[in-house]
Amino acid sequence: MSTPTAAEARVAVADPDAERVAAALARDLDDGFAELVRTYQGLVYAVALRTTGHRADAEDLAAEALLRAYRSLADHLADERGDAWLRALAPRPWLLTIVVNVRRNQVRDAARRPRTDGATPPDAPVPGPSVEEHAEHREATEHHAGLLARLPETQRTAVVLRHVTDLPLAEVAEVLGCPVGTAKSHVSRGLARLRALVDDTGGPR
Amino acid sequence: MTTEPTADPDPVLARLAGLAPRDVPDLTDRLFDGWLTTDSLIGPVLVASTREGVTFLRASAELPDDGFMARQEFQEAYRRRFGRPLRPVVDLPEGLEAALHGDAAATPRLDLRGLTDFQRDVLAATRTIPAGETRPYAWVAAEIGRPGAVRAAGTVLATNPVPLLIPCHRVVPSHGDIGRYIFGTPAKRRLLAAVGAAAAGPTSRGGTAR
Repeated sequence: MSTPTAAEARVAVADPDAERVAAALARDLDDGFAELVRTYQGLVYAVALRTTGHRADAEDLAAEALLRAYRSLADHLADERGDAWLRALAPRPWLLTIVVNVRRNQVRDAARRPRTDGATPPDAPVPGPSVEEHAEHREATEHHAGLLARLPETQRTAVVLRHVTDLPLAEVAEVLGCPVGTAKSHVSRGLARLRALVDDTGGPR
Repeated sequence: MTTEPTADPDPVLARLAGLAPRDVPDLTDRLFDGWLTTDSLIGPVLVASTREGVTFLRASAELPDDGFMARQEFQEAYRRRFGRPLRPVVDLPEGLEAALHGDAAATPRLDLRGLTDFQRDVLAATRTIPAGETRPYAWVAAEIGRPGAVRAAGTVLATNPVPLLIPCHRVVPSHGDIGRYIFGTPAKRRLLAAVGAAAAGPTSRGGTAR
């Protein structure tokens, strides 16, 4: 799944920051990681927020995923083939793959140990204290975030990556670990389902 | 790149694009621990800390190339041990400078969360040894209720993450010389001599703990 392919080469070209971040990592791991965090934390947080539905959970997920990325970078770069690995790395889909995997493990662990304290299960977004947003916008945002949460996991991830964070389809496929055609069909099925939910629920205009 | 219809503005796609958060928290403070160099009784040291306290301290090699290699080695050691990135910081943790110059009243906060209970116990017992006194390794093991774990206690002290701040130099063998030290035996002798402890061997109370 992680062997360099033509698709990956295209991915690297599609991300204008990839070369700069990889070069910074090659010079110094810690300074380069700071550059990586500055560059991609907004994107990582956006995907985390729209897959968890909660700001605090999203921050935890984003931080956990970035620390895992750091440890993986450290392991790879300690290896003698580290330079070649870094040259082939497309940082953006690689990072988002870690986010999606960490989230999947969290959901799996939560399912194994069901909460018995009556708290809201992590997948159902509660109205958050996002006072900084205008009330009207917030209402619409929460409504759509709630509908998004009702999609099956893969479709939801595909729709978030493609249409919330505007990731190219090739990178969506990379993150989902599937061919581009399959990724495309996850996105369109997710969208179709979302449109049906919007029609059913009406919702704020 | 995409074959989604683009002729008419699609309200669902527009709403999805609007789900990208506009206020993104800066995770840098949460991800990075800080490092700085400062002076101590044994010369320049590199110190790392989190918001909770000091995590790691090592002697600086004082290499001619502006300390670059020393910094890189320190970062690599930190990475192996804690798996976290470091960035330079300016502000010294409170009490650090005084503690590094032998002020027994200065107790900078330490962050020892990465350690096992046994390691933490050994270091906590060692921290109670007053300046000017020494204790045998066996005393430390007995003090934490593990009298059989003398060697294990010695291993913990040999890899003490925060020497000087937790005075592992005050722990010595029951017999013979002053024993090994993370920064070398001469530094141990200097540190003990600096506060007037007998550098020749353990003579203070507790010397017969085992």
